[in-house]
Amino acid sequence: MPMFDLHMILTIVGVALVGGFIGLDRTAVGQFMISQPIVVGPLTGWMLGDPGAGFVIGAVLELIWVLDMPIGAFVPADATISTVSATAIAALASPGASSLPVIGFSILLTVAMAPATMKADDIIRHWNSRLADALVSGPGPHLGRLLVRAHLSGIPVFFLKSFVLYLVFLPAGVAAVSVFNHFPDRVHRAMALFVKLLPLVGAALVVRKLSMRTVDLFFLGGFMIAALAGLLFHAPALIIILLTVTGGWLGARYRERRS
Amino acid sequence: MQSLGFAFAIEPVLRKLYPDQAEYESRLWIHLEYFNTQPYLASFILGAVIRMEEDRTTGRNVSEDVSSLKAALMAPLGALGDTFFWGALKPFAAVVAVALLMTGHWWAPLLYLLFYNICHVGLRVGMLFWGYRSGGDAMALMARYSLMNMAKRLKLFTLTVLGGMIGMAADWRTEFRPAVTMSIPPIALVWLVVTLAMVVVPRRGGSPIKLMLGLAALCLALTYAGVIG
Repeated sequence: MPMFDLHMILTIVGVALVGGFIGLDRTAVGQFMISQPIVVGPLTGWMLGDPGAGFVIGAVLELIWVLDMPIGAFVPADATISTVSATAIAALASPGASSLPVIGFSILLTVAMAPATMKADDIIRHWNSRLADALVSGPGPHLGRLLVRAHLSGIPVFFLKSFVLYLVFLPAGVAAVSVFNHFPDRVHRAMALFVKLLPLVGAALVVRKLSMRTVDLFFLGGFMIAALAGLLFHAPALIIILLTVTGGWLGARYRERRS
Repeated sequence: MQSLGFAFAIEPVLRKLYPDQAEYESRLWIHLEYFNTQPYLASFILGAVIRMEEDRTTGRNVSEDVSSLKAALMAPLGALGDTFFWGALKPFAAVVAVALLMTGHWWAPLLYLLFYNICHVGLRVGMLFWGYRSGGDAMALMARYSLMNMAKRLKLFTLTVLGGMIGMAADWRTEFRPAVTMSIPPIALVWLVVTLAMVVVPRRGGSPIKLMLGLAALCLALTYAGVIG
């Protein structure tokens, strides 16, 4: 079967369209967090018949990018494009359930693509600010109509940015995975290990951003609660999470009283 | 930055308040001045400005400067909103959802959307009316919602849930479990030590992209060195 048959091309265009619309949620419309990796990963995986890849990629990339915040002039990497691309590349390159090495390689590919998404966002923001500058030359006739038109024209531009990047990233990624499949077994094992360690990288990044300490007492407390509850009572995950939140609340109250 | 969006949001109100076309355009133009704040808390400023424009048309207050109000509010509310929404609420909701997803709960993304949006939409709508009623009294806003205190607590909850997630390593999805079979405490302990070691690396200035590329290189090196079978 040729790598890029009509079905594959149509699927790529479909993913680019859906991804483009979901990407609007990042900045242009709503910000209801549908565009976050934890939502968009499983959604893309489910659409392409590989929800497992979506769960893994969504969970990992959510943790890694969650505190990369758009504060001031800083433009963070587009986690939506990374997640949709990684999931779609993994699902399209290996129909059915993607293997762990392919998932790892897809994540790595989209991480390497992240600077391009940042550059594209930067260009769009500059273009957007020029729209406003064009209007502020002074009050004039039809200002209201011009304003509405200028504001709404930003939406298709954000959509086009994502759409074009998907059309570039997805075929390139699928082609790269077909080359990766011929790599030695050791590289595949390395990519599998990469996926297993990624949640720990995400956890480390969150701890680093939220705490001044390397060994944070709340982080360690949560670990102890979960380990003990799991070991002694075989408590389910939901109960353990509730216990850790309660532990965090008690710890916060204690700290507030002391200070 | 957000001046176009702010002017777009207030445009229907101005059209209603100022039937005279020239005055309407003059007022709309004023709202195209520089504006940048946290997008959710912008609704508080929007409410306050609507109130001010209303007062101006009814003659209750014609002297107050709408530009000064916006300039005075956007920086503190921007800092407050970034700290609360981006720095505390979103990470907390995300970490809880990731912990659930890692342990095999497929509905975790739905819980994330539900929890985050109940808080976010509720506050966003509430802020619009609070801004309108208070006329932009940011001190009353901070006293009522104490978002800074909530942010501090949510950050601590996030850390405990994150620690809990590592503590549940034995129950993670099979994709994340080590190939070597180990009993519960060693897996969790090993993962804890590896995580803490990784905390040190980004403290020395590593970005997420560099950290992931470095990890991939390390995995390749470990595999080729025969450390990982």
